Amino acid sequence: MSTTDIGPKGPATQAGETVVNYVDDRTAATTGIGWFLKRNIPGETSWFQTLGFAAMAVFGLQAVTGIVLAMYYKPEPTTAYASIQDITNHVTWGWLVRGMHKWGASAMIILVFLHMARVFIFGSYKYPRELTWVTGALLLIMTMFMGLTGYLLVWDQKAYWATVVAMNITASAPIIGPYIADILRGGTTFTSDSLSRFYAIHMLVIPGGIATFIGLHLFLVSKLGISEPPWSKRSMRARRAEEAAARAAARERGPQGRREVTVDPAPQTLTVEAGQ
Amino acid sequence: MADSQGNDAQNGQPKGQYSGPRAIDPVEEHSHDDDPDFVTRTRFLSGVAVAGGAVLTAAILVPIVGFAVSDAVKNPTDHWVDIGPMSNFPDGQTTSIAVSGLSQWSDARAFVRNKGGQLIAMWNRCAHLGCPVEYFKGGDNFVCPCHGGAYDSLGLVVGGPPPRPLDRFNVKVVNSGGQPVGGVGNVHGSWLTAAVGPTDHLLIGSPFSISESQQAYSLHDPGEPVTGVLSNLYPFS
Repeated sequence: MSTTDIGPKGPATQAGETVVNYVDDRTAATTGIGWFLKRNIPGETSWFQTLGFAAMAVFGLQAVTGIVLAMYYKPEPTTAYASIQDITNHVTWGWLVRGMHKWGASAMIILVFLHMARVFIFGSYKYPRELTWVTGALLLIMTMFMGLTGYLLVWDQKAYWATVVAMNITASAPIIGPYIADILRGGTTFTSDSLSRFYAIHMLVIPGGIATFIGLHLFLVSKLGISEPPWSKRSMRARRAEEAAARAAARERGPQGRREVTVDPAPQTLTVEAGQ
Repeated sequence: MADSQGNDAQNGQPKGQYSGPRAIDPVEEHSHDDDPDFVTRTRFLSGVAVAGGAVLTAAILVPIVGFAVSDAVKNPTDHWVDIGPMSNFPDGQTTSIAVSGLSQWSDARAFVRNKGGQLIAMWNRCAHLGCPVEYFKGGDNFVCPCHGGAYDSLGLVVGGPPPRPLDRFNVKVVNSGGQPVGGVGNVHGSWLTAAVGPTDHLLIGSPFSISESQQAYSLHDPGEPVTGVLSNLYPFS
């Protein structure tokens, strides 16, 4: 410890500690935050493991920019397109905030897919993290749904007809498809009710679902810890140890006592869980 | 169970030499705690709490879901819409016209084909995925801009992905007194023009789907075939 720890604490430090202690006595917040953030992680954790946080950060960006865009957007068939033109051309920094929301949508899809690819390639979805994968898959679906519902809100010809086609693709799913499409567009055909409905789904329904499932996803990540890559030094060491043990056991089993036995250098029977 | 000294070890009594009666003898109390079939007070009140909570939750969720969903899946009630005098739909031509108020929710565009002494009205909604088809006078055909679906003069598929012909509207012609003039033609929803004058009005009614042989079916969503094996995928259409 440095010399600044010697002597009485300054009034600012004392006040800060008082506040922290007051909150901590009543919430145990430092324990919870410590459990969540100060976890052991594998030695070979790399930038690849930051993709999930990047996707979540872009979700936060989308939430914040979406909230302020909603202050100017008017979800009526007669005013929707004009209000977006107004945001883009007249509101101060409207072009910037709308651009952040538009490009953030694409960035979120890309990051979610890269994150999923990382989890798949590292084998991180294996036991005990299957449910983390399932919640992530639901988050992927909801993210795609955000893209679909947000695309319509621009309310130009491309947005309108692309969404009409998307709803009719939904309706062509067997048996329940027509009902799902009817519920989504609020009727048997695409009308002005569909715009309000998509706006509500885009603004309220899906963001609530995404926030809930991000919470579950993070809880599981925190509880189970993150996995190391299957080619990490530790798993390679475990693999080498397993091979050596197999060789030793084979020598002991020999009918004539000690006997040299060749073991396949890359056995198919490797059972050490790389992520443990 | 009594041990060698006669003490009841299971009841937590201390062991010792004394084996006579004790001041507090363990009394066998009848308890229902281990009986899974007996409803104790706790069990009853827990059940009441769960059932009451379920009722209250349902009282909130049922109206919410019904409000959000039921009108959306309801079949629209169609009206007959007057789209003007017959002079607007000259013989031998296919005329495009926007129709408002067909149902509670939607507007549509119709192609009124007045040929061969018979009127039919086709919906401009492509039977593939619902884009608006365009009528080409030169070829007397319909083409969809989205995925290239092509239909002939009667709306029957001649190319591209559509699984069935263009949907049609019921049509009828009435005179100034509101009485029908002429009658239904040889295919469902059509109207014979032999007795129709130029001042009689054309009315458009509920839409329906047809097969390639112009057999009428209930209105299907785009992408749904009305005949063949795949039509069984949509049992409720």
